[in-house]
Amino acid sequence: MIWIIAWKNIWRNKVRSLVIILAITLGLFGGVFSSAVMKGMVEQRIKEAVSRETAHIQIHNPKYIDNNEVQYTIDGEAQNLEQTLDSLPEVKGWSSRIKFQAMANSANAGTGVMIYGIDPEKERQVTEISAMICDSCGTYLNGEKKNQIVVGEALAEKLKVRLRSKIVLTFQDQEGTLTGAAFRICGIYRTSNSVFDEMNVFVRKTDIASLLIMNAQEYQELVVRLSEPDQVTDVQEELTDGFPELLVRNWKEIDPMIGMMADLTAVWLYMFMAIILLALGFGIINTMLMTILERTRELGMLAAIGMNKHRIFLMIMLESVYLSLTGAIVGMALGYFLTLYTSYTGINLSSFAEGFEKIGYNPIMYPYLDLNFFITLTIMVICIGILASIYPARKALKLNPAEAVRSE
Amino acid sequence: MNIIEIKDLKKIYNDSEVAVHAVNGVDLSFKQGEFAAIVGPSGSGKTTLLNLIGGLDVPSEGSIRIDGVNIGELSSRKLINFRLNNIGFVFQSYNLIPVLTAYENVEFIMSLQGYDKDKRHSRTVELLKSVGLGDRLNSRPNKLSGGEQQRVAVARALASKPKFILADEPTANLDSKSTSNLLDIMEKLNREENITFIFSTHDQRVVNKARRVIQVEDGKVISDEAIQSP
Repeated sequence: MIWIIAWKNIWRNKVRSLVIILAITLGLFGGVFSSAVMKGMVEQRIKEAVSRETAHIQIHNPKYIDNNEVQYTIDGEAQNLEQTLDSLPEVKGWSSRIKFQAMANSANAGTGVMIYGIDPEKERQVTEISAMICDSCGTYLNGEKKNQIVVGEALAEKLKVRLRSKIVLTFQDQEGTLTGAAFRICGIYRTSNSVFDEMNVFVRKTDIASLLIMNAQEYQELVVRLSEPDQVTDVQEELTDGFPELLVRNWKEIDPMIGMMADLTAVWLYMFMAIILLALGFGIINTMLMTILERTRELGMLAAIGMNKHRIFLMIMLESVYLSLTGAIVGMALGYFLTLYTSYTGINLSSFAEGFEKIGYNPIMYPYLDLNFFITLTIMVICIGILASIYPARKALKLNPAEAVRSE
Repeated sequence: MNIIEIKDLKKIYNDSEVAVHAVNGVDLSFKQGEFAAIVGPSGSGKTTLLNLIGGLDVPSEGSIRIDGVNIGELSSRKLINFRLNNIGFVFQSYNLIPVLTAYENVEFIMSLQGYDKDKRHSRTVELLKSVGLGDRLNSRPNKLSGGEQQRVAVARALASKPKFILADEPTANLDSKSTSNLLDIMEKLNREENITFIFSTHDQRVVNKARRVIQVEDGKVISDEAIQSP
């Protein structure tokens, strides 16, 4: 019955209760939607980084990571490794890459680039670069022609080249001799990360292996894409155990910045909501104090007729929790529906595209929040409701029933 | 047998520079089924005496035994529980819970005692009928007159099956008709169900109905007179 009385009590002064409920609703609505935008941005960045840049897992000869020199390949274990990956059900696809640094020169300019020698069919299963080439921007190393290259739009602009232009790549072969060749641009890709686009070019592994005087079965890097992102740790452990002489890293280790962002966002979102709730908590305390003050006589009567302190505390705590939860549920529902709507339509911030792409973010954002966020937030709201009731409840419990029943 | 025994009861307030003896050496006892009025001028100590008997205040000296239990020795938690199960209260300002109906106000005290819903229902309806409010079960206090509210308060006080009911100036806010009606109901409950009522009052109409009148002045009982029923 105390539960019902507490619910009825919050509607005694409808205006006052609605003011605090509205404040909580707006606070939670704003908080939830802002969190969804932040989380969506970060999730999108992680998804794009994993699907275009890092994949889930990368395997290297440890010396290659230290020195970045082409002779440090995965050679002896390559066949075993590939067979193992083919047998793992969690693996969606893998691609071996010859990877090294080079100079790219056009008739107009030159710059340093990272060359990825790939098998286009294998690479398609792992990264989405092939999908980043627009219809009028060429193809992804299709056809039989030799020495074709796919470059990023930012690099093409820097070198002032177009589709079907030629660029010259200069690099050291495995024996340390300076060598090079001209490659014709067959495709220009564009991701949401202009720095990545300016740095990375893709060529066929078979074309580049002969120039490096390398066996086409050797490679510097093997990238793995998994069916489910949460399987990363298990697969990484299995591969590390199976191939202890190789360095097996997950996407967080490959790109610590993204890894840190993923971990930090989870904590930051809750801190952000905690700050909002804390501020609202003071509003709830104020409302509850006014309620206690107005009901001194009634609280005295309740204590006099035998309602014990635990029950009085419970009643006041429930009123505070009901106030908090009512506002929070409405606020969270509004935030959820706006998140749901914008997760389909996206939020187009193309006017800031250049700035976003410089830091690797897509200017079209898709807000996102998972169920866990809402569950945790609901628990936080209940906790704030309980905390906000402690001070007013203590005041109520200190009332002397004999004096309180006769108060005006 | 006495249900209340008060011995050398004192209540001294030391809030100001001069100690105030609100109750100053009272010896009293009450038997089951009494209909007693404590009377006296304002500041005579009658409300303090009633609060001490009801366990709402703690005596400075002396003892109050209710059914053999010295309530001054009970812990705060036990005292609240004791009040719940042994003492009914009727206040001057009715003090009903405004968000609850008449029915719910009466039922509430039984829910505190832990009675199941069926028991609560039958007793609530029976009590409200006995105070003449059988047709106002679902009315909230703001839809009831002062007299009706006080009758709900009497029903609520009876709901916990207390050993006695303490009523602090129950008619102070009522008109003559409501006062007469309320007193008739309480007198009937007293006669037919042997329920003990102890009032503090200024109201001569209450005094006229009482079968025992205790006169208090300066915290002391100056007369204690049994009135023969007509």
